Amino acid sequence: MGYAEVTPYTLDITLEVNGQSHDLEVDTRWTLLHVLRGELGLTGAKRGCDRGECGACTVLLDDLPVNACMTLVATISGRRVRTVEGLSSLGSLHPVQQAFLDNDGGQCGFCTPGFVMSTTSLLEKNSSPSDDEIRSALAGNICRCNAYGRIIESVRSARRAE
Amino acid sequence: MNSVIGQSVPRRDLTGKLTGDAKYAADVQLPGMLAGKILRSPHAHATVVAVDTSAASELPGVYAIVTPFDVPDGNIAPDVPILDTEVRFVGDEVAAVAAEDEFIAQHALELIQVEYAQLPFVTDPRAAIEPGAPPVHAGGNLVGGEPIILERGNVEEGFAEADIILEDSFSTPAHSGAALEPRVAVASWDGDDLTVWKSSRGVHQDQLLLSLALGMPRDSVRVIGGAMGAGYGNKDETRLSVITAVLAQRAGRPVKIETTREEEIVAGRHRHGTFTTLKMGVKSDGTVTAVHAETIMDTGAYLSSGPGVVRRAGQGALYLYRCPNVRYDGYLTYTNTPSGGSYRALGAPQGHFALELIADRAAKAAGMDPVEFRLKNHVGPEGQPGERTTPANEIIDTQPLEGGIPFSSNGLRECIERGAEAFGWSDYSPSSEENLKRGKGMAILIYRGGPGGRSIARMRFEQDGTFTMISGVMDVGEGSSTVLPQIAAEALGVDYDQVAETLGDSAITPDSPITAGSTVTFSAGLAVKQAAEDLRSRLLSSASDVLDLPQSDLELDTSGIVSQSGRGLSFADLAERTGSVEVEASVSPGSTDFIVNSFGAHFAEVEVDTDTGAVRVLRYVAAHDSGRILNPRLAVNQVEGGVSQMLGFTLTEQMLTDPAHGATLNASFLEHKSPTILEYPDIEVIFADVIDPIGPYGAKALGEPPSVGVAPAVVNAIRDATSVEVLDLPATPDRILNLLAELEDGDA
Repeated sequence: MGYAEVTPYTLDITLEVNGQSHDLEVDTRWTLLHVLRGELGLTGAKRGCDRGECGACTVLLDDLPVNACMTLVATISGRRVRTVEGLSSLGSLHPVQQAFLDNDGGQCGFCTPGFVMSTTSLLEKNSSPSDDEIRSALAGNICRCNAYGRIIESVRSARRAE
Repeated sequence: MNSVIGQSVPRRDLTGKLTGDAKYAADVQLPGMLAGKILRSPHAHATVVAVDTSAASELPGVYAIVTPFDVPDGNIAPDVPILDTEVRFVGDEVAAVAAEDEFIAQHALELIQVEYAQLPFVTDPRAAIEPGAPPVHAGGNLVGGEPIILERGNVEEGFAEADIILEDSFSTPAHSGAALEPRVAVASWDGDDLTVWKSSRGVHQDQLLLSLALGMPRDSVRVIGGAMGAGYGNKDETRLSVITAVLAQRAGRPVKIETTREEEIVAGRHRHGTFTTLKMGVKSDGTVTAVHAETIMDTGAYLSSGPGVVRRAGQGALYLYRCPNVRYDGYLTYTNTPSGGSYRALGAPQGHFALELIADRAAKAAGMDPVEFRLKNHVGPEGQPGERTTPANEIIDTQPLEGGIPFSSNGLRECIERGAEAFGWSDYSPSSEENLKRGKGMAILIYRGGPGGRSIARMRFEQDGTFTMISGVMDVGEGSSTVLPQIAAEALGVDYDQVAETLGDSAITPDSPITAGSTVTFSAGLAVKQAAEDLRSRLLSSASDVLDLPQSDLELDTSGIVSQSGRGLSFADLAERTGSVEVEASVSPGSTDFIVNSFGAHFAEVEVDTDTGAVRVLRYVAAHDSGRILNPRLAVNQVEGGVSQMLGFTLTEQMLTDPAHGATLNASFLEHKSPTILEYPDIEVIFADVIDPIGPYGAKALGEPPSVGVAPAVVNAIRDATSVEVLDLPATPDRILNLLAELEDGDA
């Protein structure tokens, strides 16, 4: 079916994003990623594939990492979303962000917000993950610069800092 | 003062990337901005006979459409008009739409009726240069009409001197760099002036190409790079930006086109697929007497950087081993497949794959260990044997073919020795189980990077007494926004944090080459160093006037100007007297006396599951001579990333083309399988600590060399583990199982 057959349909929803409540009228075709980037101006989450393969759009939905590109926003009314913009406060980096900065856990940076959110979720659930648990938690995030060595070091360092 | 050089200062642009503040082209939002989409060819080769846009243009919310029949005259590249009435691969651009949102734009694409007349097509580069093959472009498929032949000495004589001759044929696939950020362009007009935000690796080249394509004065085009989601050599072509600009002009509103993952892989620029035959002659004592490589390289539908890349594929064969008789024949061919282009190390990985597999065979034939064979034959600091033919006063900024010219520095031997020691090469004893076979492999590499064309930089002493380094290069993730300020701070004599940086905007930075060929640290770095030294002299001279002290009594340090007598001036006080001071330096990097090359030696341990054919890389040692390392932590990241990225090339990644229709079958991350953190091996990085006499503070090229040694090191290790040798990349499980089955049949 092409787009020609689709009639746009809108819904009213509420969404809590980084602690702030939003009343939104959304097109049912919109993904959470579309709403974050296009409607709320939160461009930290990136569109790398738009099909759930790369993890660049990873955000936390009720504390669990999800691909925002694969989440239709009309299905999550009333729920709580955290993005990379919600981590740092008043110029001070979140410990996970600080660990990535100190350990050079990125290169071009396009995957970085996704890795930071996956790491944040991991450490909130498990403050001392093993290396295998770190790799497993980050297996859904692709870094095409392949800065994986420094990313693993960053998470190890954040693990100690938490 | 502590030296800033050699310090692992934090990557300067990483903070914004960690908080979400960094602005990539896709993050640009402008009032009234429309969304664009591109209609792409479903045919491998066809004439566009007619395009009916009537239904699409009547769709509410559609603002502009462009087709080959109404596009302005202009060319993106000699063989690429803005839009063409002949399409040459499945995915080639046909038309484009700008609409209120992406949904409407997509709907409009579906309403455009295109009449095609299909043409015969060819997808195999070997078939493409046979007589009677369908021509992709007028003039035939072999680019230039003949192969490029590069020869030193006489290979026939060299093979006649040999006791043993090794020869085989190899192939490497087209594979996409698949930068995580798909190509994006935003275009906005203000009268006759155009501003483009784009995922770019060179804003000044983009500005020039846009102005040529659109027939505009260069100064009327501004290109802003912003943050860049990597390209690995890609993203210097401008077709997407030009189409976006034409749409924006017609719509009278800004337009953004974000390409999809599939478009990025198919319509981006990938590493060229190759077929290589390589022949090496050695004496019974292992001395290399001749090397002859012949490569057919598939440039796909368009040239892009193919002519440069096909030469680079011969670099290893011509230069890695000390040998008076070498030859390389390079055939660059058009096919009706997606276009190849620049991808990290430009042909060198393909060429080294063939060379370093044959080198292992030569070692074995001569009864030598692979490391011993390399130590005996690798090119040394003196360069190749022979006589210099390049004129004596000419700057050597390409790889000369002839011998007789030494390297500015050559730490290849240190790389081999220290890498082998760190790996534990000589006392390696694998612990293999029944179906899990372990083995070791190695490869060495040479790469020409560093000098990269005239480079300009500015240094500004601001009115508030701070410093700004201004360069026209882009930081594409490699770290120039960190390393160039380090160089500036060192040359000034201040702390790293005292130097701000401005990069990547054609309107406010001086003209600069693209971030390519591992040249930025070296070439832009030399210009920055010169500008900073000049500014330091200017400031000392001004301070001398203000303080009425001889300049020889003055020093510049982190606090300002100080004198032996104790009198001094803070930078803020000096700035009150001088106002803003800006100096510009322009340098031609390189040397008339030396070749500047980087070197490396790679060592891999693998485990092959002979039941499944799966290969795991367990351990890796990458030893590099890239001169002095200016920022060790960034450099380690660069090498680790390069190695891991090329494990994809070695084991999993390939663009598959359906020969019946010419379509790319696997344009996604799952099917064009990228390495993940799960496969990331234990990688140890070693730097040879050689100080280059020409590069800024002794540095040489680093960005691309890590890509060059990976495939041969890993495939040599697979052979050591299993006795099967993979000649065709990637080394997928099915290929390994087939080779194991053949081996068993042969033994039976």
